[in-house]
Amino acid sequence: MRKVRVEIGLVALSTLASIAILGLFVPLLGIYLKLKPEYVREYILPEPYRSEILSALKVSLIASIISVLILIIVGVPLAYILARFEFPLKSIVQGLVDLPLVIPHAVSGILILSAYGSSGLLGPLLGRAGLRIEDSYAGIIAVMTFVSAPLLVDTVKVGFESIPESLVAVARSLGARRSQALLHVELPLAFRHVMAGALMAWARGLSEVGALLIVAYYPKTINILIIEFFDVLGLGPAIALSALYLLLILIIFIILRKVISL
Amino acid sequence: MIRIEKLVARKGEFKLEIPKLQLSKGKYYVVMGKSGVGKTILVWTIAGLTNVENGCICWNGRDITEVPPEERGFALVPQDYALFPHMSVRENIEFPLKIRKINKKIINKKIYEISNILKINHLLDRKPATLSGGEQQRVALARALVVDPPVLLLDEPLSALDPEMRMEALRLFYNLKNKNKNRIIIHVTHNIAEALSLADKIIYISGGTVTGEYSPEEFIKSSIGSKYIEDYNIIKEFLEKVGKE
Repeated sequence: MRKVRVEIGLVALSTLASIAILGLFVPLLGIYLKLKPEYVREYILPEPYRSEILSALKVSLIASIISVLILIIVGVPLAYILARFEFPLKSIVQGLVDLPLVIPHAVSGILILSAYGSSGLLGPLLGRAGLRIEDSYAGIIAVMTFVSAPLLVDTVKVGFESIPESLVAVARSLGARRSQALLHVELPLAFRHVMAGALMAWARGLSEVGALLIVAYYPKTINILIIEFFDVLGLGPAIALSALYLLLILIIFIILRKVISL
Repeated sequence: MIRIEKLVARKGEFKLEIPKLQLSKGKYYVVMGKSGVGKTILVWTIAGLTNVENGCICWNGRDITEVPPEERGFALVPQDYALFPHMSVRENIEFPLKIRKINKKIINKKIYEISNILKINHLLDRKPATLSGGEQQRVALARALVVDPPVLLLDEPLSALDPEMRMEALRLFYNLKNKNKNRIIIHVTHNIAEALSLADKIIYISGGTVTGEYSPEEFIKSSIGSKYIEDYNIIKEFLEKVGKE
């Protein structure tokens, strides 16, 4: 009989990986086991809940997509500059980029209000341009953009840094201006990092709630609505809404990962 | 002609100093020196890819020290060949022509010609990752030569090849040298056989500066050259001995 060789290292790795998967899967399983169909029938499907849920989902999706588009437009150039150039105070700029990752979410909200709120630093200026942060789409987008910026910038920066210097050098020696080398060589090679960063930023934006409670409670995002369900209707209806939201996000995420081959 | 005077160039922590160097058209220069002495930085500096702190580089009498690499028109083939991995071989060779906004018909004609000369026409639709080292090298060379650059900068072009491919590539560079009339070719290596087979002139770099210029004959007779030959003979002797055992 053939002897089966067991690799201890591989077994250990698989065990640890299984623990990680379980850690992620158990809460998911828990919520679906605790989900009672009557809560779905009572608090999800009938009006006015249905319209309110659909409207909150719409707000969350639209605001998070706009925030990711804004981040791609301004975050990719920032990531490129951080990856390719040395300049005074670079470490401070890098620190500022990462700041939203390390501060409490409520502090992010307070920072946004102090900067862009009606009585904030740039509030009056924004007001004259017809933009109001408090309880508005603009506020939600500002929050989502702020909290998710480090994920996009840092991921894209790593993408640019991973491109060998010789590729850019050759492109330039062959006649490409810096902008042409960026467009034809560096951006296509960093594309997967841009997509990965955008996906993570989108996920982070969607999951934000602490800063939204401070800056823009209205129009309600799905996260705010889940908190409201919990506070007003109790755990059961909140589980029903969370389960629905989780399912939707999981499907979108899996499809997006497949589409952009991450 | 390239004339370099009192040049101080920096790349990261490394500083290269060249008091004076003159490179003439139609000549094949081989830059030699031990690892980490500044050979690569010399070709990158001529290409315009390092920070020049002092001195000047003149091309045909014009100071090009501050001219960006894309305006110099000197083609670089780095040690890793730097083929664009997201492009096919054809797109790689097309790249410098498209950047120059050359007509599609002329692009096709040029690709046809250069791929015939370098025997890579069967590789045009492949991606660089699927090519052997020798094939990648020929593609990199085709991409550099397709624009007929007045200066060709080759940074250790044979170092990544196995001995058989190396001999074939050496033949390719030898032909390139023989057909060369107006181009300045600068070839970086630390291999004595490569240098003696190809060089019109050997430029020796040590400790971040050019310490001598020699014809191949002068180089063999010099103290540095004889050390290389000595090392070469020791290795040859060792290999013969090992072969007999």
